[in-house]
Amino acid sequence: MRFMVELIEGRVAQAALLIMVLLAIYLVSLIASRSKLKTRSIPGLEKVDSWIQKAAELKRTVFFTPGTGAVVSPDTLAALALLEYVAKHCVEHGARIIVANADFTVQQVTEEIVKKAYKNAGKLDEYRPDAVRYISGRQFAFAAGVMGLLRREKPAVNFFVGEFAAEALEIAEAGRTEAIAQFGGTSTVEQLPFFMATCDETLLGEELYTVQGYLSDDPKATATLVGPDGGKIVAILIILVGVILATFGNEVLVSLLKL
Amino acid sequence: MSRRDLLLQVIIFALGFFYAFTYYVRVSEPVDLQALGDQLFAYLTAMLTVAFAIGLINLTRVHVNSIRRRRPIWRYSLVLVISMYAMAVVSLISSPFAIDPTGAVIPPALMDAVNPIWEFLYYKILVSINASIFSLLAFFIASATYRAFKARSVESTLFLLAGLLVVIGQAPASDLIWPGFCAIRDWIMAFPTTAGERGILIGVALGVIAFSVRRMIRYSW
Repeated sequence: MRFMVELIEGRVAQAALLIMVLLAIYLVSLIASRSKLKTRSIPGLEKVDSWIQKAAELKRTVFFTPGTGAVVSPDTLAALALLEYVAKHCVEHGARIIVANADFTVQQVTEEIVKKAYKNAGKLDEYRPDAVRYISGRQFAFAAGVMGLLRREKPAVNFFVGEFAAEALEIAEAGRTEAIAQFGGTSTVEQLPFFMATCDETLLGEELYTVQGYLSDDPKATATLVGPDGGKIVAILIILVGVILATFGNEVLVSLLKL
Repeated sequence: MSRRDLLLQVIIFALGFFYAFTYYVRVSEPVDLQALGDQLFAYLTAMLTVAFAIGLINLTRVHVNSIRRRRPIWRYSLVLVISMYAMAVVSLISSPFAIDPTGAVIPPALMDAVNPIWEFLYYKILVSINASIFSLLAFFIASATYRAFKARSVESTLFLLAGLLVVIGQAPASDLIWPGFCAIRDWIMAFPTTAGERGILIGVALGVIAFSVRRMIRYSW
């Protein structure tokens, strides 16, 4: 049997960088876990439970949308991790949850998550099929649908976390007009200023991917969220070396990264 | 971990590793792994297309219930259900997405009769409504900017100053007021903004790597 295996040209440096970054993340996580280091606090995530509790006291709904991304997008996956937590606490506190989706694959997953939250709490009979709704796959039809839902249902909290484009600002402003507490999260750079301007609490950039660990009861999981900082150290070192070499006219690093 | 969860985890790890591996390494013999990856992706696309029906079923179920129970918004639900199915039928008969574009089964006379209806529904209604919702953004940006541009702290004052300089630099008359505004705008956009953006992107990329590995091996780092 013949084997034809070769590294793809132009991706060798990427592969080496990936291995270096993974090693750095792993080592920093290990150190953080052993010395019981904690990641910096994310105020938005600390407030999630109290907001849901308040919504239950006010007998108002909790609204959640995981954005317009498909189930393969990392932002959507992070949003789904948050939805698991939000749905669980909504069921515990007795607050009604409404989830709006723009992608039909995400619709199926969110339905499962919300149903599971009711089932785990032994309240499956309280689950209403219209709790998880598919709005539209078209960007602005989705925005219009969500704006309408916010106006009609007047939820106490609006969680919009995941992949967003221009529709995010429309959703956020509709929530603002109704004086709804807003929790926004995305890693889409172009949308970050709008989230900052319109939300009470935010999960921006890499913070989005810490949801599961941060909200976990396991102190080890929380400690190891420091891990990606190891990757940052590698990135900063490469940038510094690159800047010094480029200043002196040396192109070694540039050539290496092109491999 | 239950047996079902374990099996699921093995599949997640195997597929994740397979796609990461074939991104960096080309294996053409004994099995062409790149072609296999493309084929798997085609299966995924087919599965996603089937999943579209789930969205349709959910929309129908929610809105038909709303009509049946005469909820306060039942009239809107009625409009939604009728327009959704009418558009689907019309599109299937005569549109760029027609089910029988050659007219083998559907009579060409019917297709010719339906085509103007589809064009009206698509270009005169759907596209116009889409543009209207999009144009709302102009007002929303203005109100969000008004709220954000308040000098409450040192950071927000810097934010306000940078924002004002970019807004003035972007205005058509900025050159007539003082040519330096455009240069300042270009400098802000090219250096501090790009530097900040790249910092965020590096953080996001590292977050995605750690998050993906966590999902693949179900380990908490």
